[in-house]
Amino acid sequence: MRQDGFKMDFGKTWKKLKREMDLMTASQTLIAFSILLLFLIAPLALMVGQAFIYRGNISLNWFISMFGDPEFISLTPRGGRLFEVHRGTMYIWGLDYGILLNTLIVAMTVTFSCSIIGVTIAVIMARYSFKGKEIFRVLLLVPLLATPFVNAYVIGKLFQPIGGLVNFLFYNLLHIMPWRIDIDGLFGIALAQILSYYPIVYLNVFASLMNIDPSLEEQAENLGSKGFRLFRTITFPLSLPGLAAGAIIVFIFSMEDLGAPIGFIGARANPLSRKVVSYKIYSSFAGALAGGISPRTYALAVTILVISVIGFTVVKRYVSLKSYAMLSRGGRWSPRVRTPSWKAQGIIYLLLMVLLVTASMPQIGTLLLATTNWATSGTLPTKLTGEHLQALATNPDVARAIVNSLMYSSVAVTVMILVGASIAYVVARRDVPGRSVLDVMATIPVAVPGIALAVGYFLFFTDYFRGTLLDPIIDPALLLIFAYSVRRLPFTSRAIFAGLQQIDVSLEEASLNLGARRSTTFLRIVLPLIASNIIGGGILSFVYSMSEVSTSATLGALREDRMPITFFISQIVYGVAAVGAVSVGAALCVLLMSIQILAMVLSNLILKQRVAFLGV
Amino acid sequence: MVKVVLKGITKRFGNVVAAGNINLEIQDGEFFTLLGPSGCGKTTTMRIIAGLEQPDEGHVFFNDEDVTDLPTYKRNTGMVFQNYALWPHMSVFDNIAYGLKVRKVPKKEIEERVQKVLELVNLSGLETRFPTQLSGGQQQRVALARALVIEPNVLLLDEPLSNLDANLRVKMREEIKELQKRLRITTIYVTHDQEEAMVISDRIAIQKNGRIQQVGTPIDIYNKPKSLFVATFIGGGSLIEGIAEKVEDLIRVRTGNIIIEGVSSTDGKKIRKGDRIACVLRPESLSLEKPEEPSNRLEGVVEWASFVGPMTEIRMNLENNRLLINAPSDIQVPIGKRIAVYIRKSDTIILPVEEEKL
Ligand SMILES: Nc1ncnc2c1ncn2[C@@H]1O[C@H](COP(=O)(O)OP(=O)(O)O)[C@@H](O)[C@H]1O
Ligand SMILES: [Mg+2]
Repeated sequence: MRQDGFKMDFGKTWKKLKREMDLMTASQTLIAFSILLLFLIAPLALMVGQAFIYRGNISLNWFISMFGDPEFISLTPRGGRLFEVHRGTMYIWGLDYGILLNTLIVAMTVTFSCSIIGVTIAVIMARYSFKGKEIFRVLLLVPLLATPFVNAYVIGKLFQPIGGLVNFLFYNLLHIMPWRIDIDGLFGIALAQILSYYPIVYLNVFASLMNIDPSLEEQAENLGSKGFRLFRTITFPLSLPGLAAGAIIVFIFSMEDLGAPIGFIGARANPLSRKVVSYKIYSSFAGALAGGISPRTYALAVTILVISVIGFTVVKRYVSLKSYAMLSRGGRWSPRVRTPSWKAQGIIYLLLMVLLVTASMPQIGTLLLATTNWATSGTLPTKLTGEHLQALATNPDVARAIVNSLMYSSVAVTVMILVGASIAYVVARRDVPGRSVLDVMATIPVAVPGIALAVGYFLFFTDYFRGTLLDPIIDPALLLIFAYSVRRLPFTSRAIFAGLQQIDVSLEEASLNLGARRSTTFLRIVLPLIASNIIGGGILSFVYSMSEVSTSATLGALREDRMPITFFISQIVYGVAAVGAVSVGAALCVLLMSIQILAMVLSNLILKQRVAFLGV
Repeated sequence: MVKVVLKGITKRFGNVVAAGNINLEIQDGEFFTLLGPSGCGKTTTMRIIAGLEQPDEGHVFFNDEDVTDLPTYKRNTGMVFQNYALWPHMSVFDNIAYGLKVRKVPKKEIEERVQKVLELVNLSGLETRFPTQLSGGQQQRVALARALVIEPNVLLLDEPLSNLDANLRVKMREEIKELQKRLRITTIYVTHDQEEAMVISDRIAIQKNGRIQQVGTPIDIYNKPKSLFVATFIGGGSLIEGIAEKVEDLIRVRTGNIIIEGVSSTDGKKIRKGDRIACVLRPESLSLEKPEEPSNRLEGVVEWASFVGPMTEIRMNLENNRLLINAPSDIQVPIGKRIAVYIRKSDTIILPVEEEKL
């Protein structure tokens, strides 16, 4: 009897599997799983495994030796200067507590500062109306324009004690400051990151605030709560999910950021700028060709991987628990907006202006570097020139990097869409085993620092694919393409998933019912209906790929004729800065920014909505 | 055209039984309706016939072929979805032609057949419009045309009229009935509207909590409901509950001082003396004049009366039971007056009270 029951159950399960697993679903599931396994899970798993192996045994050796080494963790400062005044200059560099602690301190400082700035701006933009708000709304996104490496270089240049524009202006000219200010090192890195990451928090919190049912706030007001109390007790708690989502992304971005350290080293050559995890891993790639990468580097990468995965998981849990704020129960739906008093408006304008000027420094500076002789002229540029922009086309090395990046990004976008659409469709519509695993796997890349992925790739593909086209020492091109694809995959598949949720299942069922197979239905009904999501997601992913830094600057270093734009910029900024070639790097950044602006405009037209393309 | 047979069809969603051991035979060319309250499993049953849902148990046959494991795209059924499911990115023509294109019908023939079906549903000239440019009624016709053009084995209509306004609903149901008669296509129709079901169907199956309660022609079901649920769902009327005092050809019920005699449509099998039973008194069966046949006399106070055109609706209080009466429209009864009404014993439906099972 029991056996019979089992047999019947088994038969039924098998039948169901056969029914669900038509050719298309099977290939979609297979493609998605193999890409994710090969280009995400396996490399990371191998890296984690290797980090725990010492002389053939499982051991914590690499971690113990790392945590015990003051180069990585030191509870007393080993150097650096923080708010120290020497001979009329205040040095703000930050203190060196060892690479690992430095990275965490910087990341926390950046996250905290971005949260405060982001929430303040979001509340102003979501709850107050004032003249010129729309313009500010656009300008506030300027820091999102990619100026990898050069942004930090510009900040470093502006805050130079002698010849830096900021000191020249406020110390020499206006005599406002009692000393010259020297911002550099860890503090400089943090500043550069704050200025470019605060929009991430701002956009997420803003979205949260716009989604709060106005009646919740009105009810509180009706009960006598107002002003800061209303904000503290109602508005802020309800926008916490947005803040948490934005904050964790900023934290991860900060930990894996290579742009700021390299930019500061290029501008100022302060050794303190090297004392962060990302730079440590980056520099180990320089030795990779000669002697491979030390397991201690794996342990380092695993450490930040674990920190960010834990952080991300906790936040994701929290956000999904707290999404009550989004629930609306019908009724009027226009967010509460009020016009503040003149005095308050004045404060708002002042705040926004200071923020905008400060935060746009990197972009403005990049533009100046690219179009003038500022790189070599000292405090201020003295003449306009088009030669740097021209170099984009005429310098064969530069042109090759551009072509490389364009190619990698195009292929990566194709892969992303193919895999992303497969995942989204299977997760949204099919009932096959492993569906939820696929869903989880597809979000993991958000939590994986790019440099950790790069280390994993190097380890896995030099080991198991030695001598093939996937071996980064032979040719990093394919790995770069897959790195871009996998890293951006969560965003692409979520964009497509959102599109699928918009179309009623009955539209597909009608097609099946009228005699179309699932594949025909997918091509003729589903794809046309989610085309705008695919194109919109594709455009943004293309931009992302063009300006991706972490894997580009590490894996991209392995073969000169395969280097992507961002690696080329890092080389220029890092090495040849003194000669003034940084202007060419800036010109490349201008190219990136132009592509990005074009893409945002295009995707806004296609999706008819604002971009908030960074979130948990 | 086919005969559709369901044998022991069961489908559960977690604890919900959406289809409970359903056995049905739907004849070739028949207009068959699944009727029941919302959530009783009508759509699920229809989707199982279409092949969009797989039953947990049981088999579906088209003629004598077991199609249970056949995917929907091989069943050649034409389904009209409740929300029409018109593809917004395709014109009316492309929507309708889709099933033919998938079947690789030659282009010329596609044009002809689409034109023909458009005429059939009175939509000629709207080929190039897009679904969003159509009214609700027109969308409904497109959905119908799209299902008909493939000359399906079975036409499946899932509450096709529920999104239309009242007037259009009446018009469309006549058109659908008309079309079905003309094409002689086996049709399964789902609705929760008992009047619609009565008007349009050859036979009706009444479903409740996934189970089929009764199958029969509209007249059959109206006159001989086999359960209280069916009796109240179809036709409505007043219920008076009491205890069976005498069970012979006629069954006598007593509640308080009221004594009513009537007939059981369950063939008397289930009712025994002392059982709790209920009388179903249809408003149109009650009259103010004593009929010649043996009848029950019921006396009560008029609570409320309203003229609704073709008749006057009277609400009467009968020892705290409410009685609804449809009286001729020329009759005037003052509120508060005590009156007597009559109902033929043969029109008095008596049914056992069901213990509500969860
Ligand atoms: N896909 C599904 N998953 C879970 N429950 C379902 C699903 N489809 C239907 N049900 C449940 O089955 C019952 C019958 O649904 P349905 O067939 O749509 O009823 P009807 O069409 O008669 O209103 C309902 O309780 C409904 O909630
Ligand atoms: Mg239904």
